[in-house]
Order: sequence, then C-alpha cells, then structure tokens
Amino acid sequence: MAIPNELRYTKDHEWLKEEDGVAVIGITDFAQNALGDVVFINLPEAGDEVVAGESFGDVESVKAVSDLLSPVSGIVKAVNEELIDAPEMLNSDPYGAWIIKVEQVTDREELLDADDYETLCAEEG
Amino acid sequence: MIHKLFVCRARGTNPYENLALEEALLHRVGEGELILYLWQNERTVVIGKNQNPWKECRTALLEEEGGHLARRLSGGGAVFHDLGNLNFTFLMSAGDYDLPRQLTVLERACQSLGIPAQRSGRNDLLADGRKFSGNAFYSHAGKSYHHGTLMVDVNMENVQRYLSPSKAKLAAKGVDSVRSRVVNLREFVPDLTIEHLSDALISALAEVYCSDMNVGTSIACPPTCDPLQICHSARSEESAPATPVLPLNVDELDLRALTEKYRSEEWLYGQKLPFTASVEERFPWGGVELQLDVNEGVIRAAKVYTDAMDDTLAPRVEAVLSGCAFRGEALKSALAGICLPAEQEGQLVSLLETAL
Repeated sequence: MAIPNELRYTKDHEWLKEEDGVAVIGITDFAQNALGDVVFINLPEAGDEVVAGESFGDVESVKAVSDLLSPVSGIVKAVNEELIDAPEMLNSDPYGAWIIKVEQVTDREELLDADDYETLCAEEG
Repeated sequence: MIHKLFVCRARGTNPYENLALEEALLHRVGEGELILYLWQNERTVVIGKNQNPWKECRTALLEEEGGHLARRLSGGGAVFHDLGNLNFTFLMSAGDYDLPRQLTVLERACQSLGIPAQRSGRNDLLADGRKFSGNAFYSHAGKSYHHGTLMVDVNMENVQRYLSPSKAKLAAKGVDSVRSRVVNLREFVPDLTIEHLSDALISALAEVYCSDMNVGTSIACPPTCDPLQICHSARSEESAPATPVLPLNVDELDLRALTEKYRSEEWLYGQKLPFTASVEERFPWGGVELQLDVNEGVIRAAKVYTDAMDDTLAPRVEAVLSGCAFRGEALKSALAGICLPAEQEGQLVSLLETAL
C-alpha cells in the first residue's frame, strides 16, 4: 500500500498537500482499497465553503456511500471534474486523482505524517 | 468488541421520521455498542443517495396514490416498502463493523424460521435464487450502518407499478438500479408475520453477539421506540445484578431537524445532478417533442419541437416551462397561464406527466 512521504493524512483516510496556501485533498490508497470500486462521486462547487471535520461530498462504491470529510476549513477553489465521468480514477490513482482544492484556509484537523498514518492503517488492518 | 446491544423498534410508519431516527441513532452510537433498529414504512419508494427520482420511480403515480418518495443516505438502488416489509439497520462504530457477522445474524434468523437464505455476490439475501433482502451501507466520520429490507408480504403489483420506468427518455448521471427478481418470504413460510421475523432477528442477534459480553446486558430504547429487553449475557446469569434499561438518548431537536431534512423537496428532488428528460406524442393538431434540461429540481431550459400550425405555440410553452419546478402541480399551473385551448392544454399536461 502506497503512503507517499510528502503528504499529510487524516484519521479518516484523506490526504492533503499544501501548495502556496492552497490545500489539495484526496483519498488514500487505504481508503480506495477499503471502498472497493467507486462508481459515483458527489462534489461541491467552486466557491462553496468547507468546514474542517464536516462532509464536503461523498463517494459511492457498490451500494455503499461514504461521506468525504474535509481536513480543513476554507473556500473551494477548484474541483476535479474529471472524476464525475471517471470516478474509477480514485481507485487506479488515488494520489493523482485529487478531489478538491481549498483556499483561504482558516482551520485544520489534526494531521498525521506518513509514518503515523502507516501505523494507523496497520491498526485498522 | 461489542459490549452493549440495543434494540430499537420504530413506533410509527412515516418514512421521513424513521429515516431521521436511523440517522439520529448513528450520531448516538458509541464505541463497543451495537444498535439493531427495526422499522417499517407505509407505502414508500426509497431511492439510493445518488439516484435520480424520475429515473427510478413513477413519482406522480406514487404521490397520487398517497405514497411517499424518500431518499436514504446509503447507496444502491430503488426499493419499495409497505407494511409487508421489515427494515433492519445495524449501527455501530466503524471499528466494530463486521459485515459477515451482521449477515450471519440475518441468515440465522431466517434459518430458525425455515427459510433457505443465501448471500448473493452483492451482499443481498436470496431464497431459491430470488431476492428478499436488499442491503446497503453508509459511513460517516468513523460510524457506519448496514441496513436492508426483508420482504415478508409486500404488494408485488405496487413494486412493479412504482418502480417501472416512465415513458420519458432520461439522459442522467447518477447511480442506476440493478433489477432483481424478488420474492416474499411468505412463499416459503405461509404463516410468517413481521412479529415472528422481528423476534427471530433479536434472538439471532443475541446468539451471535452475546458471547462477546461479560456483563449483564439490557436492551434499551429511545423514547420514540417500544422498549424491548432481550439479551442476556451467557456468562452472567446468576452473579451479575440485573442491569437497568439504559436510556438511549436521542436528541429530540436533532430528530426533528432530521425529519424535516428527509421530508424536504430539496433533499428529495433538489440534487445537483443535471439531466435531460424528453417526451414526445402525436396529437390531432400536430406532433410535439419536449426536451427539458433539469437541475436541482427546476427546469433550466425547455425546447419544444412541433409541426403544429400555430407557430407561437413552441415559444410560449418554452417560456413558461423555463424556470418552472419539475413537479406536477407547478407544470400544470405554468401551462394554464398561457391560455391554450382547453383540450390542447390537457394533452400537454398529460404528456408532461408521463415524464414524472
């Protein structure tokens, strides 16, 4: 299972990368593996507000909906619209398939580094 | 490890209140706790979280006959509920979630009643190759539920009528239902009742989970449920004092707000999933094709193609339909506003209704 060193992680299996004050958010390899084949994604729109720890959308795998929780508070700058037609990219390339970019970040969930996240994944098995 | 079991039975049969209680219970459930929630809805089509209601259900017909449309949080396809159906929900923390074990509870309950239940590849339950239990799943912030239907004596004619596709052509994104052959459990056990099945589920739950527990366990219920007390720890029959029924506090305000959410037009019809519905028909005065672009439950653009002699017809109809809610009453009053001949107006209303 891949856990890139340069990313930060939440205990709810989202990854986060901050570039020039913009937070890029996606789901981890562990998450996509636990979900199984993703068939649908609900995305917010650019300009929407997201709140740390609250849901900003959801993914549906076979009959299972999982809410996506935002690791940060801020304003959605962009959403990855490619995922609307190709949600399976979340399975094939979880770290390439970013979901949203958030700007004006005011608050963050507690974030883990790659080592701590790996420990968490091992615990959840 | 589960150390507390709760069983809740909804008192009412209103789908919005019952779905609200289900979500409130999910908020409430703690680590190491498992809630089995049993509930029934009167005449209701329940669609999956990411489904288009018009694509899955004859919404106008359902409404006309006093039924409800409801949208749940979990994924998957549309199902029909009436009082011949029993719904179950297992709610717990994600760490306590164990799908094979939960399915074992269902299978044991069925076996104890003489029903030859088998799991399908989609985690549904089949008997004799036909589905009697459709299962779906939801998780949010470290909590999960697994719920499903159990068809005891559902009106199959209504299943067919409400879940049959409309005449309209619908180009829509979202999750489509997978059609299955369904069967009522009464076909296998002619005198089966909802009560028998509920009791069998509760006994099976106790059998499967009580071995986990080392303290006396009571089953508790929130105030909106009927109290049930069923589970006894295998290891504490004599030594442990009887534990008082634990109150399962569900916040009343939370419950009320959730009921309003499930009932709201926005939740049911207002999804941000643009789609196009087209219907066509030939009338004595000409052929008509209507193309409606709908998003968030409102017609954003309407296109009318017609060979009718009246060349003001198309632009007038387009003008009143754009911006109109994609709902029977709203469409009817919009068309009434352009003073068409009564017969023509009636024909156009009927045509639009075939899309609903």
